[in-house]
Amino acid sequence: MPRPRPSSPYSARSPSPMFTLPQKESRKPTTCPGSVSTRGLHSIYGDGLEREAARKPDQKLLYGVGDPTAMFSSDSPHLSSRGSIIKWFWDSAEEGYRTYHMDEYDEDKNPGGIINLGTSENKLCFDLLSRRLSHSDMLRVEPSLLQYPDWRGHLFLREEVASFLSFYCKSPAPLKPENVVVLNGCASLFSALATVLCEVGEAFLIPAPYYGAITQHVYLYGNVRLVCVYLDSEVTGLETHPFQLTVDKLEMALQGAISEGVKVKGLILINPQNPLGDIYSPGELREYLEFAKRHALHVMVDEVYMLSVFEESVGYRSVLSLEGLPDPQKTHVMWATSKDFGMSGLRFGTLYTENQDVATAVASLCRYHGLSGFVQYQMAQLLRDRDWINQVYLPENHARLKAAHTYVSEELRALGVPFLSHGAGFFIWVDLRKFLPEATFEEERLLWRRFLENKVLLSFGKAFECKEPGWFRLVFSDKAHRLRLGMQRIRQVLEGKSQVAEDPPSCQTQEPRGPHR
Amino acid sequence: MSIQSRSNPSDIPHMSDGQVWDQASRNHSIHTCLMEMVLSLQQAVADHITQLATRHQQQDLVPEEQGHNQPIWGQEALLGRLMFQMVNHLQFGATGGQKFQPPCPSEDSKGDVRSREQAQVSKQIYKIFYQLTNFEDTSINYVLSNRGVETSALYHGSFQDYNTYQGNKYHEDKNTSGFINLGTSENKLCTDLLTERLSRSDMNYIDDDLLQYSDWRGQPFLREEVAQFLTYYCKAPAPLDPENVVVLNGCSSVFSALATVLCDPGEAFLVPTPTYSDFVFSAHLYAKVDLVPVDLESQVSDANTHPFQLTVDKLEQALLNAKLEGKKVRGLVLINPQNPLGHIYSQDSLMEYLEFAKKHSLHVIIDEIYMLSVFDESITFRSVLSMESLPDPNKTHMIWGTSKDFGISGFRFGTLYTHNKEVALAMSSFGYLHGISGITQYKLHRLLQDREWIDNVYLPTNHSRLQEAHRFITNELKSSKIPFLSHGSGLYVWISLRKYLDPCTFEEELLLHRRFLDKKLILSCGKTFMCKEPGWFRLVFAATPLLLKHAMQRFYTVLVEQEQDWVVKQLEDAINQEVEDLPASDASQSYSREVILTSGLEGCCSDLGL
Repeated sequence: MPRPRPSSPYSARSPSPMFTLPQKESRKPTTCPGSVSTRGLHSIYGDGLEREAARKPDQKLLYGVGDPTAMFSSDSPHLSSRGSIIKWFWDSAEEGYRTYHMDEYDEDKNPGGIINLGTSENKLCFDLLSRRLSHSDMLRVEPSLLQYPDWRGHLFLREEVASFLSFYCKSPAPLKPENVVVLNGCASLFSALATVLCEVGEAFLIPAPYYGAITQHVYLYGNVRLVCVYLDSEVTGLETHPFQLTVDKLEMALQGAISEGVKVKGLILINPQNPLGDIYSPGELREYLEFAKRHALHVMVDEVYMLSVFEESVGYRSVLSLEGLPDPQKTHVMWATSKDFGMSGLRFGTLYTENQDVATAVASLCRYHGLSGFVQYQMAQLLRDRDWINQVYLPENHARLKAAHTYVSEELRALGVPFLSHGAGFFIWVDLRKFLPEATFEEERLLWRRFLENKVLLSFGKAFECKEPGWFRLVFSDKAHRLRLGMQRIRQVLEGKSQVAEDPPSCQTQEPRGPHR
Repeated sequence: MSIQSRSNPSDIPHMSDGQVWDQASRNHSIHTCLMEMVLSLQQAVADHITQLATRHQQQDLVPEEQGHNQPIWGQEALLGRLMFQMVNHLQFGATGGQKFQPPCPSEDSKGDVRSREQAQVSKQIYKIFYQLTNFEDTSINYVLSNRGVETSALYHGSFQDYNTYQGNKYHEDKNTSGFINLGTSENKLCTDLLTERLSRSDMNYIDDDLLQYSDWRGQPFLREEVAQFLTYYCKAPAPLDPENVVVLNGCSSVFSALATVLCDPGEAFLVPTPTYSDFVFSAHLYAKVDLVPVDLESQVSDANTHPFQLTVDKLEQALLNAKLEGKKVRGLVLINPQNPLGHIYSQDSLMEYLEFAKKHSLHVIIDEIYMLSVFDESITFRSVLSMESLPDPNKTHMIWGTSKDFGISGFRFGTLYTHNKEVALAMSSFGYLHGISGITQYKLHRLLQDREWIDNVYLPTNHSRLQEAHRFITNELKSSKIPFLSHGSGLYVWISLRKYLDPCTFEEELLLHRRFLDKKLILSCGKTFMCKEPGWFRLVFAATPLLLKHAMQRFYTVLVEQEQDWVVKQLEDAINQEVEDLPASDASQSYSREVILTSGLEGCCSDLGL
């Protein structure tokens, strides 16, 4: 059964599950049987060739221009060329989730079922949310909610969103409802922004590893590609931590893309970062924004985890809190309730931009991304209820996240597994490189499959476009009993496997950082 | 895209005898567009001033809410955009000889040098405009992609009236001078029933599953309910399969996604016109799919036993023409019951169309969104899903939603039923972008499940209220001798106001439309439905009797003014003529024209069964 697919292998150069494993790591599409025969594909989606990323003399991969169609290898008599690719996106993403969905863990009914530590959902606070959403104030039915809305979102909701963001993002001046556009989730927002900011075939820069589903969001309708700014675990030069994003790396990736004739229109930043859990300091954030301004790039800042910073020592700063943004007209902020309020099924996302052209253009597409009037009403009620948020929900949510995080990180430490985590988000970025007999993505996938066979679903690094094989994202925001069982199953796999490692590469365990991060 | 084809040279015959725009006849369509824009601009300026004025008043009364700036800002943006577009058009008119591009730059930017150039010029003008007017911060650069600009412009062009309405709605107590909207096809007759039903406690269930990511095709419990619901109400010969159901946030989304997975950019669907304007929009915005119109005519002839009849011959002809123009046609879009005509296709005709599609291996998309809004009991509607055997089940895709039949357009629910698993799976990818809240899915599931309420309370009441409203409107129209088409289904009547247009052109149609707007009445004009003949309007009657009465008063006021103006114009013309060339008898000539016009329309009335 289809499920969200952060762990899906559909991203640019993933080995397609249509091939039987083990397979050779396919780096050039010419090895892919179907791509040439695909009717009309080349004329529509460019040359269909995957561009080799530039390499420094030391063979370090600095960037990569994603081509979601490079591995595509099927065609259908009933679908258009792009329809076939879209279906292939779906099929190729399904393996993990199909398996999971057919055999979901249930404490009573299916205790031997699969535990899902792959999907980034907060399952710790459903009790609080269900109770809040069942309050009588949520149940109002008004005729105007039944009719066609303002496509930007009902004004009452946009006003509430503006005041909510002013408060929680600590904006220096009150944010304005007219800069708010409301739609059914951040996926839609990526799709709409890609479409109104880029022509077909143009690109956004994105530091990798990143939440891989964005590839599909910007591609499905927008036909926009992502240029990965590859980060790595090795700390070199002036860097202070693994996978550090620097302006140099951004410059390099941008120049690389330009040299290949790829037009880059913007930069996507996820803060707190997914899957790294990194938090950009105001200083770093400003540097990236200055970089974007220098090159006249839009910056889309996805702050969907902004209230899920559970470690109080971590000083998170929203981009909306910065005084004097370098280029406010090209800075677009995204937020949603999927993560921070643990309601991914609610489908509520919002854009905040001072650029009215962008807001209007996105709103013009909201016809396709609308959400029910009722839900808009409920969201307004929820966001308005600061007492509940500040005194009940956030403290409780943070305490539960922290407890779950402590448990999982102690387990990992006991297993001798290095990991990165910074006190934000629902996940830990786990380094399982020493468990791979060979540093390849095939081995990564094999390990992932062994986890799945042992009934625990994780997301592998390739799905996040991580360039180093062997990293996994482990979601810890789940109930204790499931978490315990999940960790047990992970331990079984790793302990049965760990002796394979000959020369474990070194990577330090990262503790939640001090306030400077 | 198809909007273009409306302003193409092929359209000129309709306007060529126009007297207003006689010079520079080389480019009528530019004038049409400029005309539209000048009018829009005029309207926008007027609205803006009103808004500013009322705002001052409101400020005196209540402490100003933040939101009040919103409409004002919107109007300013609109003014800016309109002026920018006009400058753009003038620029191209001035360079002369170039094929005119419609209000928005062509979407087909790939390899089309001219449109690229044009886009470049547009950007410059846009930039200059912003800088000159100090409209906003002068450091603004041009920020949107060409398609982004086009999206905004197209949206504003299409939904401007709707937005105006949103800002100033009629209310029987609070705002009697607000806009009455008989343009948007919404059923507002049963909000009491729906509000009551949706307020019952069974609707307010919440569990963890509803708050989590779900099956992107729609929650299984909802897809099962939809399959059962359609099996029952479409009278399917065998139970429909939930696996063939995809649930998204509205029929526009379903259509947009379906167009994307069935066509590549630039490929096309055949669509009998007049047709629902949203599909024109939805085919274009994201999907970049063209609509090839199958033009239907109001004139009854041997081949046309009723006005706007769709025949296989016409389909064949349109397909052939499209092929000759090098268009790749991938499918046929049918709406049944038809919007805006209110037609219902008989089982036989439907079968003929499906056979035609099969013969040419075309997909058929059938939108049956009004299937439960057939309020005349003597009419039998047959859903495509009721057919024993479809000619090409793998290429037949049915769309339905609750917006019209349950009058809950604010719910955002649309569904696809297709036997084609590949199509269903490809559509599932769009669940990300067109997903519905779990809470909403649950409510819909409860609503569709409650057959007793639907069959015994909702449908009978809804139908009798629709009948009543329909009777009121049609009696009004009959007594004022306005020809119309209506077949006992849908929420609207298709009316002919050709006799009020002189000359009968789309410019005049637009002017009349503006006149209605001046009197705060919104109707939809035929052009937005891609109707080939100027002078048709769609009037939505699914409103309360009181509102309809007010609306009709405004409607008549406009028509009376229009007639008076016409008479004045005739007299002036006659006088001018007499002054110019005495002793010619032009007055009588103008009189005879009136006779011709009127008698022509009488003929038309009888065609339409009046």
